[in-house]
Parts: sequence; structure tokens; C-alpha cells
Amino acid sequence: MSVRALWIISHEKGDNVSVRFTRRFATVEHRAKILAGSSYVAVPEDSSVLQLLLTEMGLSDSDKCYVALRDDCLHRQRSPALELRVDSPGKGILWPVLAISHGPLTLVCLPIVDAPAEPRPPLASLLSVSQGLTLLAGLQTFLLGSGGKPDNEGLASRLAMLPSVLLQVCPLGTPLDVPLSGAPATSTVPTPAGNQKQPAWKTGLHRGRAVVNVALKETVRSMQYGNRSRQDLWDVYGTVTCKCEVEGMLPNVTMTLTLPPNGSPLQDILVHPCVTSLDSCILTASSVDNCDGSAFSGPYKFPFSPPLEPFRLCSYTSQVPVPPILGSYQLREEENHLHMSVNLKLHESVKNSFEYCEAHLPFFNRDQMGVVDVKVSSGQMDVSKEKNLLVWALGQKFPKSREVTMEGKISFSGATLGPTDPLCTELTAYIKLYFKVPDMTLSGCCVDQHSVQVYSSAKPRIITSRELQSKEYFIWNSTGTAPVSSGQMML
Amino acid sequence: MAANWAERISAFSRSPSVFLSRTTAEAFLAELLRELRDDRASYSVKVLLLSPLCEHPTLLCPSDSVGEETALELMSVLDQCPPKSVQFRCHLLLALTTVLVCTACMSVRSCVSQDFLDLLLQMAQDTGDLHGDGALRSLRATACDCLRELEACSPGLLSQRLELLGGLRQRETSRLHQAYAGLHTLVLRNAVYRLTQDTGAGAEHLKALLEGNTSVAWEAELDSGPMSDKDPSAILSSLILGPMGTVPTLQTGPDCKELRSVLSSLLEESYLLTPLCQAALLHRLTEVVAMVPGVPPAVFRAQLLRLLGTSEVCLLHATLLLKCAFTDSLFSAEDEAFILQRLVVLSQHPLLGTPEKLFYMDCLLHFPENRPIGCGGDGDETLPVLLTPRLASALAPTVFNDGATALARLNLLSLVYLEEAEEGEGEESRGLAYLYEHLTSLLRVVANGGSREIVVTFFRAAFLFLFSFCHVESYCRSLTEELCKLYLRHTHLAPHIVNLADRAQDKLAESDWAVGFLRALQGVIADAPPARLTPRELSWHLKTLARVAEEGEIHQHSTVSFLSSVIAPSPSSLCTSGDWRLGNGLLGVCRRLLVHPSLDSLLLPLADILLHLTCHYGDTDIQDHARLYYTLLTTLSQEKLAGVLAQGSAEGGRQVTKRSLSCIMAESEGLASALTIHQTEKSIFGLIEARSEPPQGETQTEEVSDPHQNDTLPTEANAALEEYRAQFLVPGFASEITLNYRLTRIDSDSHFDQLFSIRLHFGLTDDHYEELGDISVPSLVRGRPPPEVRLRLKPRRPYPTTLHASAIFTTEDGLSWLTVLPHIHVAFRQVFAPLPAPPAWGNSSRRCLFEGLWDEMGAESGEDPADCVTSLFCCRLKEGALTDLVEKHFLPYLISDLSEEEEVKVLFFLPPRSHVLLKIKPGDPVHFNVAVDNWQLLRHLNSYLLTITSSQEDT
Repeated sequence: MSVRALWIISHEKGDNVSVRFTRRFATVEHRAKILAGSSYVAVPEDSSVLQLLLTEMGLSDSDKCYVALRDDCLHRQRSPALELRVDSPGKGILWPVLAISHGPLTLVCLPIVDAPAEPRPPLASLLSVSQGLTLLAGLQTFLLGSGGKPDNEGLASRLAMLPSVLLQVCPLGTPLDVPLSGAPATSTVPTPAGNQKQPAWKTGLHRGRAVVNVALKETVRSMQYGNRSRQDLWDVYGTVTCKCEVEGMLPNVTMTLTLPPNGSPLQDILVHPCVTSLDSCILTASSVDNCDGSAFSGPYKFPFSPPLEPFRLCSYTSQVPVPPILGSYQLREEENHLHMSVNLKLHESVKNSFEYCEAHLPFFNRDQMGVVDVKVSSGQMDVSKEKNLLVWALGQKFPKSREVTMEGKISFSGATLGPTDPLCTELTAYIKLYFKVPDMTLSGCCVDQHSVQVYSSAKPRIITSRELQSKEYFIWNSTGTAPVSSGQMML
Repeated sequence: MAANWAERISAFSRSPSVFLSRTTAEAFLAELLRELRDDRASYSVKVLLLSPLCEHPTLLCPSDSVGEETALELMSVLDQCPPKSVQFRCHLLLALTTVLVCTACMSVRSCVSQDFLDLLLQMAQDTGDLHGDGALRSLRATACDCLRELEACSPGLLSQRLELLGGLRQRETSRLHQAYAGLHTLVLRNAVYRLTQDTGAGAEHLKALLEGNTSVAWEAELDSGPMSDKDPSAILSSLILGPMGTVPTLQTGPDCKELRSVLSSLLEESYLLTPLCQAALLHRLTEVVAMVPGVPPAVFRAQLLRLLGTSEVCLLHATLLLKCAFTDSLFSAEDEAFILQRLVVLSQHPLLGTPEKLFYMDCLLHFPENRPIGCGGDGDETLPVLLTPRLASALAPTVFNDGATALARLNLLSLVYLEEAEEGEGEESRGLAYLYEHLTSLLRVVANGGSREIVVTFFRAAFLFLFSFCHVESYCRSLTEELCKLYLRHTHLAPHIVNLADRAQDKLAESDWAVGFLRALQGVIADAPPARLTPRELSWHLKTLARVAEEGEIHQHSTVSFLSSVIAPSPSSLCTSGDWRLGNGLLGVCRRLLVHPSLDSLLLPLADILLHLTCHYGDTDIQDHARLYYTLLTTLSQEKLAGVLAQGSAEGGRQVTKRSLSCIMAESEGLASALTIHQTEKSIFGLIEARSEPPQGETQTEEVSDPHQNDTLPTEANAALEEYRAQFLVPGFASEITLNYRLTRIDSDSHFDQLFSIRLHFGLTDDHYEELGDISVPSLVRGRPPPEVRLRLKPRRPYPTTLHASAIFTTEDGLSWLTVLPHIHVAFRQVFAPLPAPPAWGNSSRRCLFEGLWDEMGAESGEDPADCVTSLFCCRLKEGALTDLVEKHFLPYLISDLSEEEEVKVLFFLPPRSHVLLKIKPGDPVHFNVAVDNWQLLRHLNSYLLTITSSQEDT
């Protein structure tokens, strides 16, 4: 349950590669050697590891279209556990090399295989694999910060902190914890001696006024085809993020999610490890199983003892009957221009008050836009000719009718070629919607302030919030062929 | 120095081999330890200095004794370290643990490891920090981590302390209880394992172990003998390995109160651990309960609900392993269905990252079923019975997936529909249709100019599809057509296309899809109008046709007519262009046709093509080869032709050719190995010092032959010095030493019996010498005397040194190799040269010079007075030993006559301009009066004199 080595590399699609951090754990290597016996493969030096890794990830020789070692069709990269084919000296296959990437940063580790090496044991039988993945994910969050955007200076300073961080979270190659990505903001005091054991995931104790902050955020995704032969798709998933400033070593807090009458049950509920117990009926509903109507539909109670830092208490998915915005998109190729008509309808159940709402209409594999002659019933149209992109800003509100339209013509008569995309050829085109609605959820799910109970200190201040936002919300042109986005609907 | 250290440590960690090639491990280790002891160095630098020991202990401590010494040094550093440098002390503990474990000190329980263990246990028990000193607490935590690692590497090490550790864990209320819990569970697991290995052990031993009653426990321990007798990997292995794994058991009867209470206390508090530690703890306890059938798996039940809903991958994984170990004795059928559903959900959950989702998908294919059918223990992927096509449909691949996900999903669904098809009796499933449609959508993306990653993904997907469904003809036929169309639009995909055909042929033995596909490719290429082909397209076509021509079953007429049509329009642009690559491509196809079984029917048109190329192709090299092929074709029988060209056996209808240098022209693919320099795994040969012929010969004989000139030569010391020194004005005068070696084989691998064109390259390890040039040796053949190699060294400072050497050479089969030679150590005595006196000088002038130099050095008024020094070396020598010594070691450097008994004068010249003068007075002890004009030579001289005089004593 340990890792033999850890690497952090940065690269830009296989170029400008550098090893930013590396750590080998010699005692784990010692164990790996005993465990593997004659099939032991030593970890080569960093430069070889780097080269092998890039080949395995398909990033080496980016200028060549076919490299046998990299592109052989027989070789299926079995991510997340890669194989590095180590050449002499010490020929053999280094496995399982775990790698996770975000932007230019790739984190890699080699967990120990605590099972007979021949035949190769299944990945699922090695606990060190999930431990390695957790460690890598934790380090990634630590290095990139919660925003996920690496800035060079911040990254360098965090990399410099890694040796002391690893002393805490992974001494001698055994992952014990993930690094805290930010110091908890609350004022903490050292632990007093007492009978109650302090949780290892709690760095101190809160002192001061009790405040519980619960944020419920739902995300809606959609694929709309406007086509009878193909069913439109949408799904919603929600997360509940908490920040609890509560006194006590192991305070009890209970939070309850409730649904409106005849709301569809929350599915696929996943909870944070600080949740102390769960009623089994909370877990039963699943999105991959057609549940019957008699399913449990709340209230969903989550008793827990909070850590100091903000954390994701739980997540769920939900099947709502209608998409928040129903769209239709039609393109017609006419003599020397493209005729377009768009209609967007806001469902009556959705609050007509957006933080923002925009529709993006990109056009690919065409010359640059020439004349754009478009009329919209509401909102503003921005044309970006270099990017072949129309941005329709709908602002904070749909009109009273809850319906907006766009009608117009575009000619593509520019001198140069616009952006290309292998998927969106000919009349295959889409509108992508970006919107955020504060203070509502699509599933109707909510956290009642009064339902948050804290069984220790004086009455806490409770703050709750909710919001809905879109992600991957596509409306495909109904006159073109649109790609299949889910097998579930087709099968 | 501090900045320098950071740089050096990072250079070391980047590539230890390169770093150590510039110094030696011994020297580097000594430097590290010296700096660690240095009070002036800051602790942040010292932490850095420990990292080479933590990461590469075996490189720096190659033997157990060095390991032990290093550990002793580190212990003393730890002793002297002020308590407030907590970070450094923590790192020191880690370094000590690493060194002791990796250099076998721990496994032989050496003294220092015992001391260290006691120290760690003492630290772990030292709860003096109870009142909030966080720094000290972290030292205690590190001590626990070290103990845990020691126990992990030497299982059973702490078995006797089980009760102590349990107590420490229970009493600890700070966050540190986690460290104790990890340590305690591991020790418990290993102790129970060792009991299972002892046939006599039972409930009573287990109880004794848990209660710290070591005398009883160790009875069992002693009975079972040292663990090292058994397979050492067994105890390190996980015991939860699925249906095929066997778990050793300890028969205790149903009453294991003590163990149960320990287990429930650990499980109750598991909630207080971080997810990573919880998962590890659960896994260890799973192993313990699996080993002790007396404890029911139900002890875990209270944790299950919490675990099944978890969002943490390691906790759910530990739960799956729990299921693997206890199947239906802990998990009901509903639990099983629920977990499987969870895995499907998690495999496509929008909030999870790709690696996690892929991991869950892998768990699906190795699902620990309550009642597994067949044995999935050999690592094969099998579908759990409960994974219905409807459930699996959530994991259907789409074009929006990334490559790895799309392939993993395709693989999983292929297994699902393969099974469905077997049950559904040939009825074509909708699922299969979906998968094929997915494949064609990928193909369309590729056709529309998808990125390189998508191209590779598509061909892998195509192979996966064929692998599962090559028996479903309609889809395979359609795939062939689509691929041909794709190829015509994008001929640069030829290498992928050929690779797909190759793999399909290799792996799908029962299917002839590959041959059919190649035939279809030949068809579309032949039908394409040749006039419109660009040179690029043509070259890809030729590559593809060359592959098609390897198939004995495929008629080659259309290939031949395609070739004719390409070169036919006379004068064709192709022939006049004289493009070597294209010509090479043409010849590549012809060459394969020459060994094709249906050659008889191709004879005339092929001969025409070759003749045409011979006469009209605009490149001489191509013409020559075409002429050769033409001659071979028209004069040799088919069998002989095959013998000449194929040099290999036909395998499964496809001719396999061996690489040989004579066919590089037509086999450009095989070039890579011929052009790569391979690296030998061991050293093949080394340089062994040859007993050199006496270098002095010349001067002495000269003197004898010319005794009369003595008078005209300087007899006065100053004049002699002046004349002698004048010589050094000539640049390069007497600045070299020559060392003789023999290139001697040290490896018996017969592959390297005959080596040619050996080029030796030397590297310096210090800056005392000028860079050396490469040296060429024509050959090294087994059975012949080893060739001589003369190294000419040009010292800057005449000190002993070590040289690195490597060599590039060619073997009989034409491959080039790089080998590293053992290091060459140049001893101090090897730097000696005889006095470079003017050739005309006789003995008396030399003596004069000797006296002149001696006086100068004695008066410290030499060229650089500060460097001159005199010294005395005394030793006892037996009767006559001195004469032997002089004859054996000093003869070439002797200034006085051999017959002179009262004082022997010796002068070593050390290029570029150092002198060592000896006046040796016999007696008891023998006095060696020494004068040098470079005081730094004294220490080398001392050890040299010590060596030769002590060896003289021995004889």
C-alpha cells in the first residue's frame, strides 16, 4: 500500500518537457524487489522514465504521424495504469504506472504490487492503486489550487514546499493523507487534553461564534437534437458544499435535504467520509437503474462531524422531467449564404432571473465570416469574425413570453479559413448555452435553514444558498447529422 | 557552498549514474557526511543532503559494512542535533530507516539497527509533548512512521511489542493516534501471519501475543524458526487475492475475545482516520479476520453503510477487497447488486476524474462476485453475471469520450455483447449495431481530419472490434470498405492501415479478415488513376502494396500492372524525377514480388518493369539495384531466388525476412536496429595494465656507451640546474607519461567473440589531467593475443586518478554497441618518470643536478619556494631488504650507483615539473630523507613508501 516513486512533470503537448519534482522511496523499492523476485524491474533514471512515459501517453515525437512503439493498434493504453517498457539494462515492464494530467502538469506514481508478479494481478486487487490515485489527486489539488489554473510562480513555490509536505502526507512512500490545499480560515486553538480523540483529519479546534454555511449547486447538461428520431437528453447533478465553524472536538451536525412533493428522488448519492452514518434507503436510487415510483424521496438526513476546512458533504444526480431551456436550431445552406433560425424557450418552472445567459454559435470548417445579417428578438449579438463565432448575450431576463428568437443570414466570404473541427462538418453544428440562475435548483432540492442541527454549542448562524448552472448544454442543428452522445438512449 | 549543494543534489537525483561517473560513490558519501557534521551548514541544506541517502541508499552504501558505518555516522549526527531542529531530525530518522533497511543491516539485526530500533521505540513512547508542543509531536509521528516501515520491511520485527503499541494507541488522544493505529494494525497482521505458519500455534498463543505475554508467544515464534527460511515475499503479499488466492489460517476455536476486542476498538475509531489510513487499516484487518476463522466477518458490518456511500476511491476499493475476502458471509445478494450498480454509476460520474472512472471500470471487469463462476484469478477480464446489457449501456462509448475512456468502454461493451450474442443464438443485437456505428463515427472524425490522438484511438478501436466480432461477416466486410475509402482519402494513414492488417493477422488466427482487407486495398489502389497521384500518395501506395505482396494467397497481377502504369508513360515524370525514395519504394514492391509464390506468372511483366527501371530511372543507385534484381530474376530459379532474397522462413503465408546489411536498400524498416547503437548489459572488456618494459633503459645504456663526454658536461650544480631548466622552455617538454595496457576480454558471451573497429573513449574524474583523445583498436578476437593500448596522460598535477572508459564497437552481424569498461585506476607510482636530463649528460652531471635540486629544496629556495619541503620517512627493513627494494622499485630512477652502499639517491620526475628526491640511508631503522618541490605530493609519497616497504617486510 505504498508507492515506489513519484514524479511531477510539466509539458506542453509533449514539448518543453521537464521533470519538476521527483522522489524515490528506497524502502518501498526494497520491498518491491523482494515481492517481485526474479521478475523485478528496477525504476530507471528520470530521463528514461520521462521518455517512456511520453511514448506511453502518446506524446512523444509529436511531429511524426506514426511511431510503432507509440501507436501500435494492439497496444491499448490501459489508463490509469500505464506500462513502461524499460529497455536494457534491466529489461522488463514497469507496471502499474499511474498518471493523472491537468493542463501542462502530469503527476505520476508507481505503486507497489503486493501480489505475486506472475501472472500479472488485476489492478482491482491492489489497494496501492487507489491509494496512489488519491495521493496524486490530492497533490494535484494542492499544486494547482482550487481554481485548477496553474500560475508559474504559485506552482514553483508549492513545488518547493513538497518535501516538507511529503514528510507529513507520504513519509517513506506510504500515503497517509492528502495535503491541505489552503489553511483553514477559522481561528483554531491547539487541542486540549481530554478523553475524546481528535480526528486525524482535523487540524485544530474552532473557537468563536458557530457558523454553518451550506451551498447547494446544481449543474445541468443537455443534448437537444430537435429531431423525432432522436430523443433529447438532459441530466442534473448537484453538490452540497459545507463550511462549518463549530466548537468541539467532534461536534455532531445534521443537515437535511428535502424535495418538493412529487419531486423525483435523488440518485447516486455519494457522501464525504465525515458522514457518520447513513440510512440505507438514501443510497438505493440509481441513475442506471429504472427505479420504481415508490422509491424513497426524502427527507435525506446526513449526520456528520465536520472538518475545519470547506468540504463537499455529498453529491447526487437527479432526473428532472424537462430541460430548463428548450431550444431549436435550424440551418439551411442557401446559394451563397447560410440561413439560420433559432428559438429558445425558458421553461415556466425556472426562475426568470439569470446571473448570466449566453448562447454561443460557432461555425467550423468554413471560410471566415463575411456579411452577418442577424436579427434577435431580445438580447445583444456579438460577432467575432476571426473566430467564426456568434455570441448572443441574453442578459438577466427572458422577455415575458419566455421565448427568444434569432433569424438571419451569414455569408462565409472571408479570405482565410476559419477554425476547423473534425466533428462539425457540413451542417453538423451546435449552439452552446452558458447560464447561471441564482437561488434555485432544477430538482427542487433544498436545504432548509431550520433543518441544520448542531448538537453542541449555542445556536449557530446558518447560511444556505443554491444555484443552477449549465455545463455542456448543446442544441444541435436539426437539419444536420448530430453525433450520438449517450449509448443509454440508443440501446 | 549552500547553493552549490542544492545544484549538486539535484544533479545527483536527476541522474545518479552520470553524477557518480564524475566522482565516486565513496567520495560523495564522505562529502555528504562531512557536511552533515559541519556545524556551519544550515539545517535546510542538511535536509537536502539527506535526500540522496533516502532515495539511492544502495548506490551510496554498496556494502552492508558501509551501510552500517553510515548509519553510525547518522546516529551520531542525530545525537548532536539540537532538539529544536525538528524537521531535520525527522528527515534524519527517515534516512536512517532507509539506510538500515536497504543495506540488510536491519535483516541481520546488527547492533546499530538494534540501537536505532530502541531509540525509535523510546521516542514513540515519549509523550512529554502532551501539552501542545506540536513540533515534538511531529517527531513522534515520524518515529511511528519509521517503526511501521521497519515492520513492513522486516515483518515480525515488533511482534513482541504488540501490547505496548496497542496501549500507546488507546491512550493517545491527539491526532497522533492515527500513526499508532497504522503501526499497531500492521504489527498485529504480521504477528498473526507468523502464528499461522506455525502448526502448533493456537488460541492461547494469540492471546499471549495480544497481552504482551511474550514468553509464551515466543515459544511459538521460536518453533516456527526464522522467517528467512521461507519465501520472504509471502508475508509481504496481500492475502486478499480473489477466488484463486489461499489464505493461511490460525485455528483458534470460536472464542477469541481478546482479538475481537482489539478489532472492534480499531474499527470503532477508524472513522477518526483519514480516508487513506482508513483504507489501509480496513485492508489489514480484513487480512487478520481472513486468517482467523474464529472471528466472524460480521465485525465489519457496522462500517459497511458508511463505506458503501463513500465518495472516496480508496475507501470503496477497500470495501471491494472486503467483499473479495468474505463474499456472502458479509455481503448479501442485494448488497452485491447495489455495489455493482455503484461501480457502473461511478465509472461515468460527472464529478470524477478520468483516471478514477477508468479504475472503477477495471473494478467492474474484476468484480469480486459472491459466487464466481469459473476462475478469474489469472488476471483475465470477466463480466460479472449481474452486469446486464441494460446496465452496461450507461457505459457505451461516444465520440465525446477521450481516447482511453472510449477504448475502455468499447472493450467492456464488446464483452457484454459477445456474451449476449452467444446466448441470443446469432440474432444480431442492437448493441453490436451501436458499437459498429460508434466505430464508423470515429472513422468519420478521422476522415474529417481528426487529431493524431483520434487516429490512433480509431485504429485501436477497430482492432478491438475485430478482435471480438471478426466472425460477424457483415460488419467486417463493411469495415473493410470503409477503411479502403478512408485510405484513399488519407493515404498517409498507410502505416496505421498496415499495422492493423499485421495485428489482425497475428491475433485473429481463425479469421482471414486481414488477407481480405489487404486484397481490397490492392484493388482500390490499382483502380485509382495513377496520373493523378502525388509523389507522396504514390510512396504510401507503394508501402501498402509491398505489404500486400507479402501475402502468398493474394494474386499480384494488379500490383504489377499498377507498377507498370506508374512508370509506363515514357518518358514518365517519375523516372525522370529520379526520386530515390520513390525508386526505393518501387524496388521494395519488386523485391517482395521476386519471392512471391506466383512469381512464374508475373515473370514477364516484372522483368519489364525492372528493365525499364534499369534503363530509364534517373537515379544510379536505383538503376543498379534494378539491374541486380533483373539479373537475379532472369538467371536464377525461383527456389534459389527465394534463398538469396528471403533468408528466412515463410510464416503463416507471410514471408518473414531477416535483416541483413546487404538488403538495406529494400528494407528500410529494418534499418533502425542497424543504425542504433545498442548498449551491452555488462562490461565486455577492460584495460589491464601490462608489465611495462623498463622506461629508463635508454639513459643508462647511453651513459655506458659514452663515458668520455663526461668532462665537457656541467659538473657544477648551478650550471647543471640552469641547463636542465632550459629544456623546459620548449613547450610540451617531458609533459607526458605513457601507460601500457592490454585490451582484455572479461565477459564470456559468445555473441561478442569477434569485435571490430573498437573506439575507446576516456573520461576524467578530476581536473588533474588534460582531456584524453579517443583511441582506435582494429579488432578484438577470441583466441588471439589481446591488443596493446597505450594511454598518453598529460598531467596538470601529478596525482593518482581514476579514468572512466567506454567503447563503441561493431560485432560480426554489423550491429554497433556501446559498452562501459571498468574504471582505470592510475596509481601514484605510474606517474613517475625518469629524470629528463639532456641526452648527452653522464652520471656525474645527473648527480650534480640532484645535489643542486636537493640544496635548493632544503633551503626552500626552489622555483616556488613555498612548495618545497623536506621530510623524513623511517622504517625497519630486514637485512638485504633495502637492496631488493631498490632493485625492484627504484632502479629506473636511481641517481647513485647500485654499488654505493652508504647512501642511495633516487629521483622521481613527475610531469609536468615536479621532483621527488630520496636519500636513503641504510641502518636500523632505514632513513628515507625526502625532498619535494611540491608539498602536496608528500601524502601520496608517504602511502607509496608505506606500501612498498611493508610489502618488502612481508617477503
